[in-house]
Amino acid sequence: MISIQNVSKHYGAFQVLTDCSTEVNKGEVIVVCGPSGSGKSTLIKCVNGLEPFQSGSITVDGISVGDPKTNLPKLRSRVGMVFQHFELFPHMSITDNLSIAQIKVLGRGKDEATDKGLKLLDRVGLKAHADKFPGQLSGGQQQRVAIARALAMDPICMLFDEPTSALDPEMINEVLDVMVELAQEGMTMMCVTHEMGFARKVANRIVFMDKGQIVEDDDKDSFFGNPRSERARQFLAKILTH
Amino acid sequence: MGYQWNWSIFGSTVPTGETTYLAWLLSGLQVTVELSLAAWLLALALGSLVGVLRTVPNKALSGLAAAYVEIFRNTPLLVQLFSWYFVLPEILPFGLGDAFKQQLAPLTQQFLAAMLCLAFFTSARVAEQVRAGIGALPRGQKAAGLALGFTLPQTYRHVLLPMAFRLIVPPLTSEFLNIFKNSAVCSTIGLLELAAQGRQLVDYTAQPYESFIAVTLFYLLINVIVMALMRIVEARTRVPGYLGGK
Repeated sequence: MISIQNVSKHYGAFQVLTDCSTEVNKGEVIVVCGPSGSGKSTLIKCVNGLEPFQSGSITVDGISVGDPKTNLPKLRSRVGMVFQHFELFPHMSITDNLSIAQIKVLGRGKDEATDKGLKLLDRVGLKAHADKFPGQLSGGQQQRVAIARALAMDPICMLFDEPTSALDPEMINEVLDVMVELAQEGMTMMCVTHEMGFARKVANRIVFMDKGQIVEDDDKDSFFGNPRSERARQFLAKILTH
Repeated sequence: MGYQWNWSIFGSTVPTGETTYLAWLLSGLQVTVELSLAAWLLALALGSLVGVLRTVPNKALSGLAAAYVEIFRNTPLLVQLFSWYFVLPEILPFGLGDAFKQQLAPLTQQFLAAMLCLAFFTSARVAEQVRAGIGALPRGQKAAGLALGFTLPQTYRHVLLPMAFRLIVPPLTSEFLNIFKNSAVCSTIGLLELAAQGRQLVDYTAQPYESFIAVTLFYLLINVIVMALMRIVEARTRVPGYLGGK
């Protein structure tokens, strides 16, 4: 579904990604983790072309992201993305947040888009908030709306860029619950996250990054049980102590 | 001081006999309002376009927009006005300059030059506000729009600009007020707007205090109305749960 081959990226002299390669097959859940500044977010933003890269190739459903001839808006409309800071549109009601891209990008009718949006809103447990505005919801609620907004586009896969990092501890679980459910339904997911509980529960593979490189790309049992690299061992030791 | 106050001059008939001095002031007021409103609409449209262009990824477009802003923001309004009125008609190609001078009534010439001058001058300032408004939004908003499959223009139209304009209502109000005040400069090319009528009143009646007090009050009145209007705009567009909204 997503294939990342030898991707490198630099800002001027600063190398952000070096020769990264990995695959996400249909129905798989991949968790990307690593220390801050390791390039995880940059890598996931390369997947839907939000960040350009200088060499290597990324294909999503067989379509090359880096090819200048690719219709990026069309490709992006098929790839759901959830951001650290939710990024709902503050001037629109929750209903409009859920329907606007369906209407303007997919050309769905207003009623159809609203119905679909409300169904998904119900699914993330927020039906009662349809007429509110993003600023009136808690962080966890906003993030669940953001997931519903991405799902409303019927994506072929979902990208999560640290979806729980900006949340209060109490709200993390409500978002993770939605993500776990989604994973169990067979959604193809690439998640940048430090939630190791989530990773243990649903991930097929863990990609561990450090200094712009993919240091480890392993199934979760070997990663948690017996990390091969010293760097991953240190990282796990630090985040799993408490 | 020996000054003879005489508030009744506004009701007196002008020497040519067809109207009163107050009517002169009111016709000036009308010119000021029409001129400024027309210039403001044009400035808002041009300024929004240029402000957006300043923020696009294309270097050529954003450079061009930056040059536009620097030219119109960094030269005096009076110099710009003289350029529009005296210089431009001389250098316009294809007989456009001659057509301007020969086929348009002198009043129309003055009004057009003044309107374009105020519009372009103000558009550069509006452009800076629009750019600042877009720049003040969280960076993820653009990414979120694009990630949903919006094209860049759609992202501006549906995601960035609606919030950017809400953020800049207060500075835009002040530009809107400025355009009325700046329009007084246009009396220098002979346009009979409010300030020019005020000066004419002084020449005819030798009552400078009354004339300029009246002119001042009219400008104040315009600006009080503008501020009230913009406050309504601000209240109407307020986003619930965001920036002072409920």
